[in-house]
Amino acid sequence: MKDLVAILVNSLLAAGLYATMSYGLAVIYGVMRIINLAHAGILMLGAYATLTLYSRFGLDPFLSLAVVIPVFFGFGVLLYLTMVRRLPRSSSGASIESLLLLFGVWLVLQNLAYAIWTGDTQSILTGYTMKSLSVLGVRVGVPTVAVFAVSAASLVVLQVILRRTYLGRAIRAVTQNRDAALIAGVNADRISAVAFGIGTAFAGVAGSLLATMYAFTPDFGRSFLLKSFCIIVLAGMESVAGVAAGSFLLALLENVVGGYTSIPTSFQDALSFLLLVVALVAFPHGLLGAFGRSSLRRRSIP
Amino acid sequence: MPAEGAAPILEVRGLQKRYEGLLALAGIDFDVSRGEIFGVIGPNGAGKTTLFSCLVGAVRPTTGTIRFRGERIERLPGYAVVARGLVRTHQIVRPFREMTVEENVSIGAHFGSGRRRKEDADKRVGEILEKTSLSLRAGALAGTLTIGELKRLEIARALATEPEVLCLDEVMGGLNPSEIAEAMKLIRSIRDSGVTVLMIEHHVHAVTGVSDRILVLNFGQKIAEGTPSEVVKDPEVVSAYLGTEPVESNL
Amino acid sequence: MRRRARSLALGAASLALLLAAPSFLERGTLNDIWNVAFAVILASAWNLLGGFAGQISIGYSAFIGIGAYTTALLALKGVNPYATLPLAALLGAAFSFVVGLPTFRLRGPYFTIATIGVSEAVRVVATGVAFTGGSSGLRMPAGSFDFTRNYASMVILAVAVVSLSAWVKNSPFGRALAAIRQDIDAAESLGVHSARYKLLAHALSAAIVAVAGSLFAINFQYISPGSVFDFRLSLSIVLMPIVGGLGTVGGPVLGALLFGYLQIKLLSSPALRDSYLFIYGGMLIAVMLFEPKGLLGLFHRLRRAAGRAVSRPVPDAG
Repeated sequence: MKDLVAILVNSLLAAGLYATMSYGLAVIYGVMRIINLAHAGILMLGAYATLTLYSRFGLDPFLSLAVVIPVFFGFGVLLYLTMVRRLPRSSSGASIESLLLLFGVWLVLQNLAYAIWTGDTQSILTGYTMKSLSVLGVRVGVPTVAVFAVSAASLVVLQVILRRTYLGRAIRAVTQNRDAALIAGVNADRISAVAFGIGTAFAGVAGSLLATMYAFTPDFGRSFLLKSFCIIVLAGMESVAGVAAGSFLLALLENVVGGYTSIPTSFQDALSFLLLVVALVAFPHGLLGAFGRSSLRRRSIP
Repeated sequence: MPAEGAAPILEVRGLQKRYEGLLALAGIDFDVSRGEIFGVIGPNGAGKTTLFSCLVGAVRPTTGTIRFRGERIERLPGYAVVARGLVRTHQIVRPFREMTVEENVSIGAHFGSGRRRKEDADKRVGEILEKTSLSLRAGALAGTLTIGELKRLEIARALATEPEVLCLDEVMGGLNPSEIAEAMKLIRSIRDSGVTVLMIEHHVHAVTGVSDRILVLNFGQKIAEGTPSEVVKDPEVVSAYLGTEPVESNL
Repeated sequence: MRRRARSLALGAASLALLLAAPSFLERGTLNDIWNVAFAVILASAWNLLGGFAGQISIGYSAFIGIGAYTTALLALKGVNPYATLPLAALLGAAFSFVVGLPTFRLRGPYFTIATIGVSEAVRVVATGVAFTGGSSGLRMPAGSFDFTRNYASMVILAVAVVSLSAWVKNSPFGRALAAIRQDIDAAESLGVHSARYKLLAHALSAAIVAVAGSLFAINFQYISPGSVFDFRLSLSIVLMPIVGGLGTVGGPVLGALLFGYLQIKLLSSPALRDSYLFIYGGMLIAVMLFEPKGLLGLFHRLRRAAGRAVSRPVPDAG
């Protein structure tokens, strides 16, 4: 019984972070049908930014979010304006050109990180990194709890933005039916830029949070990227709640596999990868519109 | 004219297609005889293109059966239906823009029903280009064609698959009167060469002028079926087209 | 017809020249040629599925690994390495079915992501499983090294693959692939069984890449999961045809030559070696933003522009 509680608590705490990490990907995909492979690079940059702010200026990682959020938002908008906007819009939405372009951006970001911070493994050690406290009788690290708190807060803020502001409604409208939203007068270009900014900001925040819990190198975005894909495929991207549920599902699976089997952690990564493939293949109708016949639903009914 | 008493080449029973909450086709029954020109008309959103999509296997119907030459085909994928001799053109043309006209038509020739050896396929492509008046444009990239030429290309590609039944989806959309007359001539010559033709058309004059029988759909349901003269007098048909000019026909 | 004869002559001449090269070129240059030939094989083979059919897979290192390990493991058991090539090809094709059957239902970018997932999973498994020698790799049995034979086989395979590529492009099969790339639904509506042709193109390219992997093992004598199942390798394989000109016959060759040259330059300068990600990434960005048709596309565009500048406007032929 104690084991079960431990698994649930750990899964919940991990889910918060996964949700924050995935939402960045989801909003960009929802608004522009673009698969942002640079997401991995931005996660990584978020971690390194936090590292620098901490080691150079002594700024506590959680406080540094106040810097990370606006800077990364701006970076995202910049990325959109200089590159993504120039791409030809393919009629079916998701294009391979945008995928490859952002892949290129990811590679460049990785190289930047190698150049500035070298490939050495880094980690952030604060006064509270090693401390732990008890949640429902389960011992968990203080950073883990703090990360969960921040993640939960960010998702709540997100919900408020989506439901209560014009911007949020516009984003939801474009996500659900782009053509109708355009006819209703939504400025697609501006919404796309903002969405890209939000997506990048969330990725940056997730990266900062990840840095407080894990050691990292410039290469570390990849497995998190694939986990995020897994989650948004399972959950769809039209609701924050969906992403949260998908995050919990994945975290639960990982904890169950880790807790009850002796499969080593590296194999667990392979598990996420395969789960992603399975999710992509087995969840046809409407989740990402990835399948031929259901794409008929995207066009007006003939 | 269609052979009297012969088994229908196409039998549709209880065809239904539901899209999430919208019943696009509400249970359609009709037969098409071999050698007929069979028109399908109805207001926008009546379900005409959905019907064609079900016939050729682009879309799987929710329920119902489709018998082509006695064989049930409603669950077959598109390429398998084409292999059996039933093909359609698209309402919004879908040429392979980076290929030439000739290459476009050759796709139909090489992969349609009755694969031919390469030499035969090439000859067939030439004949079809002649028939659809595209020979002069054979080497042009499909992306450079006018809308009239693109419509003819759609037909040419479909013909290249050697169909027994050809479904034309609004081939006259966007054509001027002389082009429409040409199209009607082409459709008759296709039928005369032994192909059964189904055609969705908004140009009611054209459809009534060329069809042997007509099916009228509205809101996914059949509201009339019969010869053109019967159909244009049907009060339900007239009210479905409320607000438009009284239907004239070229009878 | 004349074009066919000209290409044949070109192919035969290149082959003859390359095979005669060991008699007048030194070993270092021959090594470089071997590397470029390897790149040409990978790029051209990948292009069958990625360029002709438009299905972009970033997971081809898996096939290199399959070929390399098949050959290495059997050679260690005493089998003549060259005798293992057909089996490597077969296994490569078989694995391509395992990957392709579920994933070809996906379209465009979703297929690409799935291939990334699969190839990463393969790498992780290969590193963890015992019979592959784990992360420390395998060494080929001593005495099996013969550079002249390695060189000849790689060069022959390279010319063969480019020729195959040209033949496929002009065949009905190639046209079906092009139709699938441009509009898969329209292709299906004309009778093209898209799944079958995608699987076929995949199997063909996977088999070729697996054989290249075998030749790699034979030449380098030592393989490890890091060297053959590497994501960066998958990446390079994709970049070469994209930068050179996706879907053409010459594009992958051009891209391979460029990358071969880059590799040589990069390896000789430590500063550049660390920037390879930047260079690859920069190239991808540049190509996608400015000339998605790659170098070959750029060349054609410039030639057309030059043609327009030189000739006077001709009245419309109507």
